[in-house]
Amino acid sequence: MAITALQLKDVSKDFGRIIALRKVDLSVEVGEFVSILGRNGAGKTTLLNIISGISKPSSGEVQLFGTDPSDTANKSKLAVISHEMFLYANLTALENLEYYASIYNVLNIPERIEFVLNSVELKHRRFDLVGTFSRGMTQRLTIARALLHEPSLLLLDEPFTGLDQHAIGMLTSLLLEQKQEGRTILLTTHDLHTASELSDRYVIIEKHSVMQDGPMSETTPEEIRKKYFSVQPAGVHQ
Amino acid sequence: MRSKTDKILLIVLLVSFLTSLYLIFAWAPQIKASNTAEQIAQKIFYYHVPSAWLGFLAFFIVFLASVAYLWKRDRRYELISVASAEIGVLFITLVLVTGPIWAKPVWGIWWTWDARLTSSLILWLIYVAFLMLRRYLPDGSKRANLSAVVGIIGFVDVPIVYYSIRWWETQHPKAVMASGEGSLDGDMFIAFMFALATFTLLYAYLLKKRYQLLVLEDAVNKQFKEMEIL
Amino acid sequence: MRAALSILKKDLRMEFRSKESILAMWIFSLLIFVIFNFTFEVSRLVMLEIAPGLLWVAFIFSGMFGLNHSFSVEKENGNLRSMALMPVEGGQIYLGKFLSVTFIMVFFEILIFPIFIIFYDLQLSVQMFMLIPVILAGTLGFTSLGTILSAVAVHTRNQQILLSLLLWPLVSPIVIWSVNLTGVVINGEITGSFYPLLIRVGAFDVIFFTLAYMLFDFILED
Repeated sequence: MAITALQLKDVSKDFGRIIALRKVDLSVEVGEFVSILGRNGAGKTTLLNIISGISKPSSGEVQLFGTDPSDTANKSKLAVISHEMFLYANLTALENLEYYASIYNVLNIPERIEFVLNSVELKHRRFDLVGTFSRGMTQRLTIARALLHEPSLLLLDEPFTGLDQHAIGMLTSLLLEQKQEGRTILLTTHDLHTASELSDRYVIIEKHSVMQDGPMSETTPEEIRKKYFSVQPAGVHQ
Repeated sequence: MRSKTDKILLIVLLVSFLTSLYLIFAWAPQIKASNTAEQIAQKIFYYHVPSAWLGFLAFFIVFLASVAYLWKRDRRYELISVASAEIGVLFITLVLVTGPIWAKPVWGIWWTWDARLTSSLILWLIYVAFLMLRRYLPDGSKRANLSAVVGIIGFVDVPIVYYSIRWWETQHPKAVMASGEGSLDGDMFIAFMFALATFTLLYAYLLKKRYQLLVLEDAVNKQFKEMEIL
Repeated sequence: MRAALSILKKDLRMEFRSKESILAMWIFSLLIFVIFNFTFEVSRLVMLEIAPGLLWVAFIFSGMFGLNHSFSVEKENGNLRSMALMPVEGGQIYLGKFLSVTFIMVFFEILIFPIFIIFYDLQLSVQMFMLIPVILAGTLGFTSLGTILSAVAVHTRNQQILLSLLLWPLVSPIVIWSVNLTGVVINGEITGSFYPLLIRVGAFDVIFFTLAYMLFDFILED
C-alpha cells in the first residue's frame, strides 16, 4: 500500500505584490522519485521551501508525513541539497560533519561519518579545510552532509549546476542508491536527461502552478523540451 | 477614491485645526515671561507635546500590528505597521523641530539634552532604522517577519530608553528647564486638550489614508502580475 | 541545549583558528584609545572622568565587529537556510549564537582591559573587582540585543550599516547605565545606589534575551 509522504492541497504563496505559487496540488508517495521542472522564476524553489517548512504558504494545506513540515520530527527526516554549500570554509570536512551530526542527533557518529565520507570519496581529505576544496569536492561533501542523518526525504534544488562530470556521475549513482533504499526524492533541475534517467515522475511548474504531472515512462526528454520549453517565435508572450 | 467618511473627516480636521489655533493664540492666557518672544514661543508647547504623545501612540500601533502580523501572517497588519511607523516618524520629526524653536527664545540654547527631546531623538532613530531596514529588503514574507520582530523589540525598548534618559538627567543637572507642563490652569488645559484631540484626529486620518494607499498599491501590482501570468 | 552548545563549539573552533574577530576588535579599540587621546586634549583629571565612557565606546564599536562577523559567516554559505532546516528550536539557535558572541566579546574585553589601565594610568584597587559584574552585565545586554539584530541585518546588503542603525539607539540604556557604573567603580565610591542600577542592567539583559529567544524562529522562517 502506498503511503503518502507529501501532500499539498491548493497551496498558494503570495504576498502583497509577489506571487510565488498559485493553487498547487501535489501528492508524492513514499519511495517516489519526482523531478520538478520549469523555467527560472516559475516557483520551483518556493515550492521546495514550503515543502521543507522554511516558508509558510499563504493559503492551502501542506502535510509532510502526515504533519506540518516545520515539525521538529519532520526536519530530522529531511535533507536539502542545493547550490548553497551549507558548510563552513574555516572548518575541516570532518569538523563540518561532526557539527551536523551532533545537531541531527546522529547515532554512532564516527562510523556514520566514515561511511558517508567513503561514499563521496572524500575520506582522504577529511582533515583539510573546506575552503581549500574545489567546487566538485564541496558539492560532494554537501551531499555527504545531507546523507549523514539518513533522511527519508531528499530535496534537491538544481544540484547538478556547476558540477564536473565526475561529480555528476557520483551524485547520480548516489541518488539511485537512495532510491533503491526507498527514500523519497524530489529534484528540481534543468537537466532533462538526468531527470528522465533517475525519476519515476515529472511535474512541470509553469507560471507558478502545476502545468503537468505524469510518469516519466510515458515521455522522453525531447518531448518535454519541445512541448514546454521550446523557444517561442517573437510576438508570442513568454 | 475619496469615500464620504473621508471627506467628512478631512473637513472636521480642518475645522479642528483652525479652532485649535484660535484657542491657542486668542483664548489661552499668555504666560508670565520676560519678553514677548518667549511668550509666543511657549505656544509651541501646545503642539510640541501632543506630537510627542502621538509619536508614541504611532509606535505602539506599530508594536500591536507587528504582533498581530506574526500571529496571523496577514499582509494588512504589515501595512498598518508600515503606515504607522512612517506617520510616527513624521510626528517625532515635528517634536524635534519644534523643540529647538521653543528652546531658543526661552532658554537661549537650541538643544537641551532633556529627557523628552533626547528620548524623542532616540525614538526617531529607532523607527527610521525600522523604515531603512524595510528599504534594504525585497518585498515578501521575510521582510514582513524581520520588520515585525524589529517593531516589537523597538517598542519594548522605548519605555526603557525614556526611563534611562530621565535617570541620566538627574545625574547631570542642568540649567533650569521647565518641561512646560507643570500645572495647566483651566483655559490652557482646554487649549491643550483640544490640540491633543486635533492631533489624534490627524494621526487617524493620515494612518487611514496611508494604509489605503498601500493596499491600493498591492492590489494594482497583483493585478499586473496576474495579467502577466495569464 | 545540546544544539546550542554544538553551535557554540563550532563558532569558537572557527574563531580560535582564525582569530579574525578578536584581533580586529582588539586593534580597533586600541585605535579608538589612540585617536581619542589626540582629539580630546584634556587634563588628567578630566580624562579620568571620561575614561569610563571611552571604555564603553571602544567596547561597543568593537563589539559590532564580532556581531557582524558571527552572522556573515553564516550567510556566506547559505548557512542561514541550513539553520532554518535544522530540527532545532529557533531559540536554541539564538542561544548558541548568543553564547559564542558573548564569549568572544568577553575574551576581547579581557585582552583590551590591561591596555586601558595602562593608557589611563588607573589605580588598581580591590574595588576594581566590581568591574567584573558591571562589564559582564553591560556586555550581556549588548550581545543579547545584538545577536538578534545582527541576524536581522545580515539579510540586507548593507549588513554593517543596518546593524549600527538598529543597535545603537536600542542599546543606549545599557550605555548610559554601564558608563555610570564603571565610573563609580573606577573613580568613586560604591554607595547604596550602585546595586539597584546594576540590577536594572541585569533586568534589561533578561528582558531582551527572553524576547529574542521567543522571536528568533520568525527570523529563520521565510
